[in-house]
Amino acid sequence: MFADGLFLGFAVLAVLGAVGLVVFRHPMNGAMSFVVTLISLAGLYALLSAKLIFALQLIVYAGAIMSLIVFIIMFLNIQPSDLPQEETKLFYILGGSVVVLPIGLFMAKIVKSLPKSSTEIVGNNFGGVKEVGLLLFRDWLVPFEIVSILLLVSLIGAVILAGKRGTTK
Amino acid sequence: MMHNYLYLAIILFCLGIVGVISRRNVFTVFMSIELMLNAANLAFIAFARVHENMDGHVLAMMVMAVAAAEAALALAVVILLHKHKSKLDTNVFSLLKG
Amino acid sequence: MEQSVNYLGLIPLFPLMGAVFIGLLHVFTCNRAKLPEKVYGILACIGPVLSFVLALKVFIALKELPAASRFLSHKAFIWFSVGDLHIDMGFLADPLSCLMLLFVTFIGSLIHIYSIGYMGGDKNYGKFFAYMNLFLGSMLVLVLGDSPVVMFVGWEGVGLCSYLLISFYSEDRSNVLAGNKAFIVNRIGDLGFVLGMSFLFWGIGASGFDYLSLKANVQNLEPAIALTVCLLLFVGATGKSAQIPLYVWLPDAMAGPTPVSALIHAATMVTAGVYMVARFSFLYAGVELAGNIVAWVGILTALLAAIFGMFQEDIKKVLAYSTVSQLGYMFAGVGVAAYSAGIFHVFTHAFFKALLFLGAGAVIYALHHEQNIWKMGGLKAKMPRTYITMVIGAFALAGCPPFSGFFSKDEILYSALATGHYGIWAVGVLVAGMTAYYTFRMIFVVFHGEPRDHHAYEHAHEAPSVMTVPLIILAVGALFAGFFNLPAIFGGDQMVSHWLAPSLSEHHPHASVFVEIIAIGASVVAFAIGFKIAYSKFGQGAPAPSYKGFADFAYHKFYVDELYDAVIVQPYKAIGSSIWKVIEPNVTDAPVKGVSRLYMVLGAAFKVFQVGYVRVYAIYMVLGLSLMSLLLSQSLN
Repeated sequence: MFADGLFLGFAVLAVLGAVGLVVFRHPMNGAMSFVVTLISLAGLYALLSAKLIFALQLIVYAGAIMSLIVFIIMFLNIQPSDLPQEETKLFYILGGSVVVLPIGLFMAKIVKSLPKSSTEIVGNNFGGVKEVGLLLFRDWLVPFEIVSILLLVSLIGAVILAGKRGTTK
Repeated sequence: MMHNYLYLAIILFCLGIVGVISRRNVFTVFMSIELMLNAANLAFIAFARVHENMDGHVLAMMVMAVAAAEAALALAVVILLHKHKSKLDTNVFSLLKG
Repeated sequence: MEQSVNYLGLIPLFPLMGAVFIGLLHVFTCNRAKLPEKVYGILACIGPVLSFVLALKVFIALKELPAASRFLSHKAFIWFSVGDLHIDMGFLADPLSCLMLLFVTFIGSLIHIYSIGYMGGDKNYGKFFAYMNLFLGSMLVLVLGDSPVVMFVGWEGVGLCSYLLISFYSEDRSNVLAGNKAFIVNRIGDLGFVLGMSFLFWGIGASGFDYLSLKANVQNLEPAIALTVCLLLFVGATGKSAQIPLYVWLPDAMAGPTPVSALIHAATMVTAGVYMVARFSFLYAGVELAGNIVAWVGILTALLAAIFGMFQEDIKKVLAYSTVSQLGYMFAGVGVAAYSAGIFHVFTHAFFKALLFLGAGAVIYALHHEQNIWKMGGLKAKMPRTYITMVIGAFALAGCPPFSGFFSKDEILYSALATGHYGIWAVGVLVAGMTAYYTFRMIFVVFHGEPRDHHAYEHAHEAPSVMTVPLIILAVGALFAGFFNLPAIFGGDQMVSHWLAPSLSEHHPHASVFVEIIAIGASVVAFAIGFKIAYSKFGQGAPAPSYKGFADFAYHKFYVDELYDAVIVQPYKAIGSSIWKVIEPNVTDAPVKGVSRLYMVLGAAFKVFQVGYVRVYAIYMVLGLSLMSLLLSQSLN
C-alpha cells in the first residue's frame, strides 16, 4: 500500500520532469527537470528491489552525466539569441504526440498481454552489490570488457574532438 | 502491478521520441535521447524483478555505461558546433540539403 | 542416272579461293610494300584458267555418256534442312550448264589476261582482280547450281560483284551512284525471283527442290501457280538481264572499267536471266502465255534499245544499248520456246560483244580515256589490229553471213516465224536493220574519215599484245562460232541444238523450207539496208550532229530515267524523309524519351522529400515506425 503510493508519486514526478524537459525553452531548465526525472527513476528502481542500480543511477546518471551536461550548458555561455526561435513549438509537440501515439498504444497492447505478477520487495539480497557483481564478472565478463574498451574509445574521441585540432577554424 | 512500471516506461519513451522530433534545441534533443535510454532501463529492471533474474540489472549497467560514453562524445560535438556557428539550432546545420 | 563427280565443286572454288587470297594480299600490302602488278596478274588468271581446264574435263566426261543420261552431279554438303525444304550445296553439270561453263570460263580467262594490260598503273590493281575472281566464282555457282536456291546464291553474288566493279573508280561520285543504281534495280528483280521460287516451292517443292526433282514433278503444278511462277521468275530476269522495265541500270553501268563491261555486262552476268529461263524450260514450255509475254517484252526491249543506240555518242553506251537489244532477242528466242536458239545466241553474243567491248577498251586506252565518238575518227591507220577485230565483231553483231551472229539471230527469227509469232518476227527484222545501222555508224565514225580531235589522234597508238591477243582470239570465235549450230539448210546438223536437247523441254518447229528462206532473206536484206544507210551517212566522215525533235527525244533515252526518278525515286525518298522527320520522333523515339522523362519527373517528385535537415529524417523514421505499429496492432487483434 505504501509501495503503491510511493510508486504513484515517483511516477508522477518522472512524467512531469519528462514533460518539462520537452517543453522548456532554455536547456538549463530542461536539464533540471530531467534531473528530477532521473531521481524519481532511481526511486522506482529501489521499489523494484534493484539496490545497486538505484545507487548507480544516482551516482552515474544524475551525478556524473547530468553534471557533465549542466557543465557544458553553462560553459557555452548561452545567450538568448543563440537559442532557436521556436514559436511553433507547441504545435510540433502536439503533432509529434499524435504521430507517436500509435507506437505507444501498440506497445501498451503488447504489455497488456503479458501475465500479471507482483513487484514486492524481495529479500535474499536480490539486486545487491555482491550478487550483481558476481553475475557481471562471471557470466557477463566479455560484454563488460567490451564496454570498458568502448569507454576508452569515447574518452580518446572526446579528447581529440575537443582538443587543439578541433579548434583550428 | 508490474504492468504499471511498464506503462510508465512506455510513456517516458514516447515522451522522449516527441522531444527528439519536435524540438530544435540541440541540448533538448540530446537529453530526450537520454530519457529514452532511461525508459528502456526501467523496462529492463522491471522484467528482471519479474523473472527474479539479475541479468536485467547487468544490462541496465551496460546501458548506463554506453549512455555515459555517448554523452561525452555528443557534448564534445556540441561544443564544436557552437564554436563553428555559435548557434544551437539543428536547422542551421543543413549542409545535407541538396 | 547421274554420276557423282567430286571435281565439279572445284570449278567455282578455284576463282573464289583466288578472290580471297588476292583480296587478303591486297589488303595487307596496299598501304605498305606494294606488290608488283605481275604477281596479281598471274595469281588472278590461275583460277579462271584452271576452271576452264576442269570445264573441258566435264565436257569430255559428258560426251562419253549416252545422251539420255548426260548428267554429272556433286553434292558438296547439306546446307539446311527445314521441314519439307531440304537444300544441298549441290552442283549439276548437264549439257546446258556445260555449254555455259565452257564459254564463261574461256571468255573470263581471256578478259582476265586483257585486264592485266588495261588496268596497269591503277592503284587498286589487286582489288580489281579479287573482285573479278569473286565474280567469276559466283557466276560459276549460278551456272552449276543444281537447285534454284543455289542458283540464287550465285545470282546475288554476281549482283554484288557487279556493284563492286561498277563503282570501282570510287573517287568519282557518279560512278558510285551508278553502282548503287545497278544494285538497287537488280534487287527489285531479285524480289520477283524470290517470290517465284517461293511459289514454286509451295507448289511442288515438297518432294525435292533441285532441278531434276522439279522437272519430274512439274505436271503436278497447277496452271495458275505455274503461270505466276513463270512471270515472277521473269521479273527477276528483267532485273538481271536488263529488260523493260528494269534495264535502266545497264547504260549507267558503263561507268565501270571496260573489262568489267565486257565480262559482266556483255558476256556473262546479263545472260543469267536467259540461262534461268532455259533452265526452267520444263516450266515455261507448259505455260504458253508466259512464253508469249517473255517474247514480247524481249522484242520490245530490243526495239527500244536499238532506237536509243542509234543516237548515243559515248562508245560504251552504244555497246550497252546494243547489249540490251541483243538480250531482248535472246528472250524473244526463249519466249517462243526456242530455248536452244536463245542459248546459242547467248553463246555467240558472248564472243562478239566481249570482242567489241575489249576493242572499245583498247580505243579508249589509246586515246587516254576519251569515250565520245565525235572526238574520234580515222583510227584505222593507227590501230590496225583493233580495227580489224572490231570490224569482225561488228559484222557478227549486225548479223552478216557467214559470221556467227547471223546464224544465231536467224535461228531465233526463224523460230518466231515458224511458230506463228509474225509480229515478233517483223519487229525482229526491223531491229536487225537498226542493229546494223548503229553498229556501223559507230565503226565508221570511230575508225574512218578524218580525225576530229587532232591532239588525241597524235598520241594514239596500238594497244600492247597482252590486250590485242585476246581480241584476236575472240575475233576467231566471233567468226567461226556460228558453225557450231549450222542449220540443215546450209548443210550442217545443228550440233549445239542436239547437244542441248537433254536439258531443255523443246519442240523444234518444222516449217517448210520456204519459210526458212523467207526468214534468212529478210535478215540479210535488213542487214544490207542498215549497212548501206550507215555507210552513206558516215562512211566518208561526218561532223557531230545536232539532234532535234524525235532524234533529240531518243538521244535523251525518252527521258525514262527522269520519269523513274520523278515517279518512283522521289516519292520513295519523300516517304523515307517523312518517316525520319515525323514518324520516328513521335512514334519510336517518343515512348523511349517518355520513359526517361517519366523517371525524371518521378525523381523531381521524390526530391521534395530530401530536405537537408536530419530532424526531418528522424521524423520520417518515426512516421514509419508509427505506421508499422498501426498495422501490427491491427493484426495483433
